Amino acid sequence: MQHTMARVAGVDAIARGIYLLRLHAPDLLAQGISPGQFVHIRLPGAGQQRLLRRPISVMAARPQEGVLDLAIQTVGPGTLALCGARPGDTLAVLGPLGRGFDAGQAQRIFFVGGGVGVAPIRFAMDAFAPGRRCAAFFGFRGAAFAYGIQQAPCPVQVTTDDGGLGARGQVSDLLRAAIEEEPPDLILACGPTPMLRTVQRLAVPEKIPCQLSLEEYMACGLGACLVCACKTRAMDGQGAYRRVCVDGPVFPAEEVCFDG
Amino acid sequence: MADLAVRLCGVRLKNPVIAASGTFGFGREFHQLYDIGRLGGISVKGLTLEPRGGNAPHRMAETPSGMLNAVGLQNPGVDAFIARDLPWLLERGLAVIVNIAGNSVEDYCRMAEKLAPTGAHMLEMNISCPNVKQGGVAFGTQPDSIYQVTRAVKARAAQPLMVKLSPNVADIAENARAAQAGGADCISLINTLTGVAVDVRRRRMALGNNVGGLSGPAIRPLALRMVWQASRAVSIPVVGMGGIMTGEDALAFLLCGASAVMVGTANFADPFACPRILQELDTLLAEQHVRKLEEVVGAVIEN
Ligand SMILES: Cc1cc2nc3c(=O)[nH]c(=O)nc-3n(C[C@H](O)[C@H](O)[C@H](O)COP(=O)(O)O)c2cc1C
Ligand code: FES
Repeated sequence: MQHTMARVAGVDAIARGIYLLRLHAPDLLAQGISPGQFVHIRLPGAGQQRLLRRPISVMAARPQEGVLDLAIQTVGPGTLALCGARPGDTLAVLGPLGRGFDAGQAQRIFFVGGGVGVAPIRFAMDAFAPGRRCAAFFGFRGAAFAYGIQQAPCPVQVTTDDGGLGARGQVSDLLRAAIEEEPPDLILACGPTPMLRTVQRLAVPEKIPCQLSLEEYMACGLGACLVCACKTRAMDGQGAYRRVCVDGPVFPAEEVCFDG
Repeated sequence: MADLAVRLCGVRLKNPVIAASGTFGFGREFHQLYDIGRLGGISVKGLTLEPRGGNAPHRMAETPSGMLNAVGLQNPGVDAFIARDLPWLLERGLAVIVNIAGNSVEDYCRMAEKLAPTGAHMLEMNISCPNVKQGGVAFGTQPDSIYQVTRAVKARAAQPLMVKLSPNVADIAENARAAQAGGADCISLINTLTGVAVDVRRRRMALGNNVGGLSGPAIRPLALRMVWQASRAVSIPVVGMGGIMTGEDALAFLLCGASAVMVGTANFADPFACPRILQELDTLLAEQHVRKLEEVVGAVIEN
């Protein structure tokens, strides 16, 4: 983990409401970043108005250039401020944080991403798919929202709500069909909660190892404040709540409770 | 360079900057970023007699110049803290203030007894946590019950007792006096103010607990007013907090009568907030040719 002043190398709209923020942060990259990990970024120019940092998943890491790619969805004033950064600006960045995906010995991996959740999944694909038999399933609201598909290291199937790109429907429909055809030995997923819940239902009863990347509001990002709790089945001294920032954001699917 | 050391009811702090309870865990996470031994002290995450799982998500909502939290006192329990975390903290070279929260007078007393034989430097009795339904709040708002619980715990405590006051009250001076009358060695304030946030799209309360505690710069003017009023009402030392983000903010609290300050929410905006505030305070005091910190405590010129 490193705290650094990163230089903005570029900000580009890559889909409707999604920007690719490129950060020059060689010292942070030198720590080694694995897919599923995130960085915690101080908002530019917010002063004491918006205090909290934003946790953002990494979409690509290019250590040779010292560059980190982040896909940011503009959901509120905070993320809008981040996407309003200009090349040459500096941003305070803490990272890498959290526990990422673990491909282990899996030979056949299914990657499942929805919306802005495609970003960490794309990082996982680039890291794990070469040399393995893999397939990816991405879901978007419509064609204008799609990104992360080009030059993928494995075949990608897409669904959209309106059928404007790929098949019409939910990404889980494709996943279900693919599992029936030939189950993978690992599923990695990130996206909206309803999508993750469906992936969990498809994987866990079939005993297919599956890892889900969760989202929760964060304050410290370090494991100290306990505001980022998610409910899990793992019972230990701390009860059933785990911290998304340090125990996750990636959890084994069988441990996650989506009932609140 | 000014002498920043403080004596707080017999405990020596090397400087007046203390990490506030609940924002700094037991210190281990921030110690990955800097040596927490540089700070005057740490007030640890609020402990209860038994382990507590805490509230359902979401536990946090960002608000203008602040945040609401409803963690619900998730903690491993006082025994686990004494066994696993306290020994490590005591080696760090800063004052260790153990924050305790109870559901009854008896709970507080038993925790004070468990902590008595340890090397902890001070107890901070949180009678004001707004997140536990039957808990803290009942004690924290009435002068009578503040007096009773303080007296009972003081009789069992081996370490100096700091009573943390709630701002969700009509008359802070009266409550400060009640703590002093009960035997408190010092008081700290303010804890968070109760508030709610609404997710209008889902037409739902934003927090799992509905109600949360407001902290950050949004509460600073109110905190400063209460610290000023409380410090004029009592003769025991006062520890001030509420939205401190900079050395200037810390100095304002000192001028209004605080002998030391606690820094909470600022740690989230800037993980180096505590050492930075300390540095800024040092520079500011040097500019004002202050030799000893005591010179500024309560030195505000009133109109
Ligand atoms: C996430 C969070 C958790 C907290 N937990 C506790 C706690 O366990 N016990 C306690 O006495 N105060 C707790 N507090 C209150 C702080 O110690 C402090 O009184 C309050 O936040 C005001 O200071 P600030 O504006 O600098 O944060 C908590 C505050 C926050 C933000
Ligand atoms: S954000 Fe503070 S513990 Fe996770």
